[in-house]
Amino acid sequence: MHSDIVISQSDGRPMYLQIMEQVKQRVAVGDWAPGDEIPSIRQLAVALRVSVITIKRAYLELEREGVILTQQGKGSIVAPNQRLSPQIYHEELSERLDEVARLGDLLGLSSEEIARRTKEASDRLNEARLTKEIV
Amino acid sequence: MNDLSVQFEGVSKKYAHFSLENIHLELPTGSIMGFIGANGAGKSTTIRILMGLVHQDAGSVRVLGHSMPADQAAAKLDIGFVSEDMRLYGAATLAWHMDFLRPIYPRWDQTYAMELARRFDLKPQQKIKGLSHGQRVKAALLLALARRPRLLVLDEPTTGLDPVARMEVLGELMAVLADEDRTILFSSHNTLDVEQISDQITFIDRGRIIDSDDKEAFLDRWRRLRLVLPPDGVVPRLPGVVEVGGSGRLPVLTTNRFEPAMVSACNDLGATVQAVDTMTLEEIFVANVHSRRERLTA
Amino acid sequence: MNWSMVKGLIFKDWYFQRTAILLAFAGGAVSLGIVCIGGQASFTIGLILLVTVMVMISAMTVMGNVLGERENQTLPFVMSLPISYLEYTTSKILGNLLIFVPFWLTIVAGSLAVIVASPVIHGFFAFAVIMGVEILVNTCLMIAVALVTESKGWAISAMVAGNLAINVVGYIVAHIPGISNGMWGTTIQWRPAATISLVTEIALIALLLVGAFFIQSRSVSEIDSHSG
Repeated sequence: MHSDIVISQSDGRPMYLQIMEQVKQRVAVGDWAPGDEIPSIRQLAVALRVSVITIKRAYLELEREGVILTQQGKGSIVAPNQRLSPQIYHEELSERLDEVARLGDLLGLSSEEIARRTKEASDRLNEARLTKEIV
Repeated sequence: MNDLSVQFEGVSKKYAHFSLENIHLELPTGSIMGFIGANGAGKSTTIRILMGLVHQDAGSVRVLGHSMPADQAAAKLDIGFVSEDMRLYGAATLAWHMDFLRPIYPRWDQTYAMELARRFDLKPQQKIKGLSHGQRVKAALLLALARRPRLLVLDEPTTGLDPVARMEVLGELMAVLADEDRTILFSSHNTLDVEQISDQITFIDRGRIIDSDDKEAFLDRWRRLRLVLPPDGVVPRLPGVVEVGGSGRLPVLTTNRFEPAMVSACNDLGATVQAVDTMTLEEIFVANVHSRRERLTA
Repeated sequence: MNWSMVKGLIFKDWYFQRTAILLAFAGGAVSLGIVCIGGQASFTIGLILLVTVMVMISAMTVMGNVLGERENQTLPFVMSLPISYLEYTTSKILGNLLIFVPFWLTIVAGSLAVIVASPVIHGFFAFAVIMGVEILVNTCLMIAVALVTESKGWAISAMVAGNLAINVVGYIVAHIPGISNGMWGTTIQWRPAATISLVTEIALIALLLVGAFFIQSRSVSEIDSHSG
């Protein structure tokens, strides 16, 4: 179960964000079902060779967002109530779109061009899914 | 868990051409601290003072509750130490070293020792002088780990190791921490390793601790802001800016006290924030040292 | 003082010098054999050989196990063990003496036995005792210098100086009235002069060893050429 999570060193984002994203993905996809036990902070730290403090931060954020619950002295579980998780993805989408808008503006693209590029990205994703490159 | 495995207070040490000044260090039990500094910065001296091998001129040093160097024998019973300049006995085998250490350390785990030999690809019956540098480093680490120490003190543990060996060693170090009563202090040039596995990070330069904080705090506090100034614009003055780089209308501000409010502050002052870059530990360290040395010479 | 650790360190040192130690004992046995052949010439030659071998042993073991740690850079490994510098110093002093003293004792006792057995040279007894102990003094000097200075240069100087000293002392003692006028006789004589010489030597030994110990305990070794 531990080796399910894979950290990419070339990913420029902070480690704790990568971990959070992967945990959320597993939950969203159903691999880790509500109520399931997840590795303790130390266990995950050892398995990923990542500092305890980073895992701790990731877990704290995940708990704040309602994705997991940590029980005193008993480890952590996937939160039984997952109604918040789509919300988080919406927030992230908004942030990313803001960034897309900003970059497009920098490049001097018009709104239509930005929208066109967004659609192209979506089309690429669907194509890749069809050719079974991703599940 | 709030007790400290290592505590330095006001520690100083003077040599002919170098001095360590006013070193404060606190290492909580169960955590791992990465110690970063350039060559000659004082990492090794600090570590030797920690081990009681060098006597400080001033200040107090407590390791695992023992006062150093007075109580070093008792403290060292619970410490595993590997340093870059340490050599094992070339004429003897790894097995000889294991047999030599076994009766000394009550928690010696021979099964674990043999398991490590397997994982590190070491043959116990081979003489130390026949080993490559990387193998010797791994052998020394094996001997330190097999005694199941409460504190591991490592001076450049991954230097000279190939990438695969490095990963194995990092894995073993993290495995030590699975027990939250055990602590690690390691010094390294390899900021990637430090960034990945450390809970706490301490920077040392020219005999002084220039910064010490938990890793996530470091990574959070430091940012590079890439700005675009209007044609007659002036670089905005912000608190906590450590360095100003770039040129002309595209200045780059390096700050160690980043807050999201800074972005709007920049915009208010007429500069557009084009990007807010996070910084790697290496970049943070270099910027820290650089700005400090500039300030001293200014 | 953690005697268990001191013992462990001593055995470790002996293990690494086992070949040298065996060779030294072999050399000593041969020299003793020569002494026993009989006759003044072989006695003198044998005696000189014995002294040489003994000085060489002490030089070898001291250089080997005291300075060897510094040369081979194994000192950090040893000091990372649960010992204080006092235990380290004790193990070096004892380790060297325990090799040297039995050997020395055998040879000196053997030489004295030869002297006692042949009435012709009975007069040599006092001189032989004093010179025998002088060699022990020399060894203790080497141990002390090597420990305190941790320098090959100083240790070699001490060895050379010690060698010279033995000859000088030998000359001086042989001319002390209380000793010289019995030396070539056929009776064993022990005069106050001999006692004084002996006591002086023993005091020197104590001074050297205790002095070395004391100096070491004041200055924790700086295992550090300062490289940062």
